[in-house]
Amino acid sequence: MSEQSTAVAGGEAGTAATTKEAADAQAPVKPKNNRAWFLVLPVVVSVAFTAVIPLMTVVNFSVQDVFSPDDRIFVGLEWFRSVARDPEVRAAFVRTLIFSAQVLLLEIPLGVALAVAMPRRGVWVSVALVLVALPLLIPWNVVGTIWQIFARPDIGLGGWAINNVLGLDFNYTLDSTDAWITVLIMDVWHWTPLVALLAYAGLRSIPQPYFQAAQIDGASAWAVFRHIQLPRLRGVLTIAILLRFMDSFMIYTEPFVVTGGGPGNATSFLSILLSKIAVGQFDLGPAGAFSLLYFLFVQILCYVFFTVLTRSGR
Amino acid sequence: MQWMVWTLPTAMVFAGLALLLAGMAIWGHFSPPVARRGFLRIETDRGDRLYIGLISAAVVLAGWIAVTDLSMWLALACALAVAIVIGVWG
Repeated sequence: MSEQSTAVAGGEAGTAATTKEAADAQAPVKPKNNRAWFLVLPVVVSVAFTAVIPLMTVVNFSVQDVFSPDDRIFVGLEWFRSVARDPEVRAAFVRTLIFSAQVLLLEIPLGVALAVAMPRRGVWVSVALVLVALPLLIPWNVVGTIWQIFARPDIGLGGWAINNVLGLDFNYTLDSTDAWITVLIMDVWHWTPLVALLAYAGLRSIPQPYFQAAQIDGASAWAVFRHIQLPRLRGVLTIAILLRFMDSFMIYTEPFVVTGGGPGNATSFLSILLSKIAVGQFDLGPAGAFSLLYFLFVQILCYVFFTVLTRSGR
Repeated sequence: MQWMVWTLPTAMVFAGLALLLAGMAIWGHFSPPVARRGFLRIETDRGDRLYIGLISAAVVLAGWIAVTDLSMWLALACALAVAIVIGVWG
């Protein structure tokens, strides 16, 4: 009886909605109200002041050899040519791409595994959430400092243990592979929690009947993961992959604090090389051209990110 | 404005971009953009295609300067062609 009345009520609501839609369709189309533009004007002004004007200045610098505002020479596209063909820049680009790829290959599976292993209900939920989120709350340069000390073979617990307990010869200040591994593991430690939290949120949103149906069918834990959880995580994992790719591609603070780009230039990623040219050598022309090429690449990534996020459902 | 170290070519590029945006805004006011699907396989309106076209043109220019010594005017012609193709059929 109650089911019937719900159905009737639902039907009435449906009819009401249809009538309203029909009324909306018949109403004349409202002209666009452009006064909203005045409301976003403060944002436009502040963005122009903090981002657009400095970026225009970078463009101006990238086509000149500037000694002072009064003493400068127009060099055309010379800096772009030299930066785009510089073997050091190309090596840093490849290095940064490899680093980003490794970050994704490690952090995404680890983050998903962590999310699957985290408790679903009870008091341990908040404990697990806080513990997992802890690395995300630490300022980036502090993360660098922690790992700079932790991985040292003489006074750091991690470095000491690798040398004396595992018996491996590990010194990130001398060996380029060790330095790379240290920076990579530091990034995994710092950012896997983000992937885990995103994946955990995704897992929590899967309706319970899916799991009940799987239980009735006698599905194994792997089958549940492969056919229910993983497909349902597609959306959040897209966000996680793109976020982590962009962030790791722009990584600066942590490797700067831990290795400073060394030993040699084993860990000098694009941003570290850029700041060396711009701030260290004060070559503002080449640094401007470098920034614009770097910006172009990141801009393309951002656009792909935005497009995938907003249009994947359509 | 002295600190911005302006040059005539960069000023012309930015003036051109500003004119392009203003033109698009006026065009959009008189004939609102319609989203459709072209060879890019995503739904775009003319503003989206302008943006994708400009970014693609920049990629052509950057790639050109990285690999060849041929004239940059030729590169500019290719970049414009790419932008136009994306703008019309993208």
